[in-house]
Amino acid sequence: MSSTSAVARQLPRPGAAGKRAPLESPATVYLTYLAAMALTLAPMLILSQDDYWTNIITLAYLFGGLATAWNIIGGFGGQFSAAHGVFFSVGAYFTARFYLDEGISPWITMPIGGVLAAGIAVLISWPTFRLRGPFFAIATMAFNEVAMVLANYAKSVTGGPQGILVPFRPGLVNMIFRQSWQYGALMFSFLALTVLVSIFVRRSRLGFYLLAVREDEDAARAAGVNVLAVKIWGMAISALLTGMGGTLFTMFIRFIDPPTLFSLPEVGIKFALIALIGGIGTIYGPLLGAALVVPLENYIRAVLGGLWPGAHLVVLGALLMLTALFLKRGVVGTFAGARQRRRAGRT
Amino acid sequence: MTTFFTVMVLGLLLGGIYGLVSIGLNLIFGVIRIVNFAHGETLMLAMYATYFGYAWAGIDPYLAIIIVAPLMFVFGVLVQRLLMQPLMADPIMQIFASFGLMIFLQNIVLLMTDGQPFGLPPIGISTVDLLGLNVSFARLVALVAVTLIAIGLHVFLHHTMSGKAIRAVTQDKRAAAAMGINVDRIYLMAFGLGCAVTGVAGCLLTPVYTLSPTIGSDFMVAAFAVVVLGGLGSIWGAYIGGLAVGIVEVLAGFYIDPSLRRAIWFLIFIAVLVARPAGLMGTVGAEEVGFREQH
Repeated sequence: MSSTSAVARQLPRPGAAGKRAPLESPATVYLTYLAAMALTLAPMLILSQDDYWTNIITLAYLFGGLATAWNIIGGFGGQFSAAHGVFFSVGAYFTARFYLDEGISPWITMPIGGVLAAGIAVLISWPTFRLRGPFFAIATMAFNEVAMVLANYAKSVTGGPQGILVPFRPGLVNMIFRQSWQYGALMFSFLALTVLVSIFVRRSRLGFYLLAVREDEDAARAAGVNVLAVKIWGMAISALLTGMGGTLFTMFIRFIDPPTLFSLPEVGIKFALIALIGGIGTIYGPLLGAALVVPLENYIRAVLGGLWPGAHLVVLGALLMLTALFLKRGVVGTFAGARQRRRAGRT
Repeated sequence: MTTFFTVMVLGLLLGGIYGLVSIGLNLIFGVIRIVNFAHGETLMLAMYATYFGYAWAGIDPYLAIIIVAPLMFVFGVLVQRLLMQPLMADPIMQIFASFGLMIFLQNIVLLMTDGQPFGLPPIGISTVDLLGLNVSFARLVALVAVTLIAIGLHVFLHHTMSGKAIRAVTQDKRAAAAMGINVDRIYLMAFGLGCAVTGVAGCLLTPVYTLSPTIGSDFMVAAFAVVVLGGLGSIWGAYIGGLAVGIVEVLAGFYIDPSLRRAIWFLIFIAVLVARPAGLMGTVGAEEVGFREQH
């Protein structure tokens, strides 16, 4: 057993353990994916008669997808972005504006809004990716602040502080549904898409470059990786998905305003903390994180919200501190690590 | 001309407030390089303590410094010991943990105050005449105080053994430890001191602002910007950075658009960050010190 702990001690950083193993075969990966998606869909199928729970599950799917998107740059690439609320809002406002003014279907504006968000992500990233670690986090946070000021200012686009209310006109084309399970199916598809993209990225050359940059930027550069290009690509893919999520959020909640969209604990950094709690840098960690965090939060809000507003955030804050202190690799990372150590112990 | 003068004075006074909330952070983020996103909450807690000190016991906000500052020192030591010290090897986890602390404290206060805003009633002198201009007394005090604190911290960091030890630890932990410096204790002391200074800021700002649980985080991004803008670890950088930010904000608000004023200096901040990560008055390369991996 002593050799096991020696191996564990040699690991440069949490999260790196799984990366030494040879790439799993495509069959294993995609069978795992299908099984995971079936497992994810099950709660909604079971509870589809219950509107209350269906709504919570729908939100969990959406935030699971958003956390998975954040994880591509934040987890694989190790770049703590606090600017994802900006990309999210770009998608949200783009869809809301064109839907209200021109009657354009959100199905059309969703991908365009995503591309726009990715473009803005590239513009933001180009200068800020010269900064490392905490400086990058602070700079992206400043971008979130600037975007919020601009959103409050540009009333003709965003409706300013009053926000935008999307009228209830149900219809598939409008992406507005009467039944809550229909939203559930929509968000589930989004989640399934983001996880699939995440798997593709992780298994691609870009994915390995991102990991290399996370583990040691200078070494990656010395090995011939174009660090800036890798980070920008990771950010763009992540922002594209996040922008699409913004569209879905708008059509689900049907009301958006700057305090909601640019709130760090409720939107921007929430993606990050869901990913952290589930397992940062893993494929299914963000998904599991959402499955834990979103229902818990809503449960607390429902039980204590009337009496103590903000009680759910008290719990979330505490959870975040405890995770950072004792469960750095999240639920998934910790279990995977334990399994790997067991395996290593056998051989 | 008189308008311009007025705008400059108002900017300087606002800058004093920015300097005041940033100078403690400069000690924590600038000097010992710990990323504490809950720094704004230190300010918030200090302000609430000051307010309730007055509301319950009638303690004058300026007199409350002698109670609140030591209280915040203890708070800082606890945060560093329990939350930050275990995560010293992993700045990203420090970001997460301190962000968790921020959400936690904000909402604990929200929960206890039921979201009610608190503001001190006008006490003592409210405005003073400054070269024919009526300026807020509390803001003037803040400007004077931040100047004194900056001088004090500069002397402390450069001319006392403890201050030199703090800077030594920042530059090279191992070498400092080899010289007989207790590294963990230095971190505790510096973190506590940063919080104590912020406690002083909280006392001085309680008469200026209406209290809400998010008042600290409203200042937080600004404070980080000021510290980076001025130059990490440079006390004078944070002081001048704070004043510059205040002046830019008021100028932009007056001559461009009041609702855009924050966006304008944030963009300037991002530009400076990108062009010169060491900040206006920091030594080039200073931004790497303490974040580089030490073996």
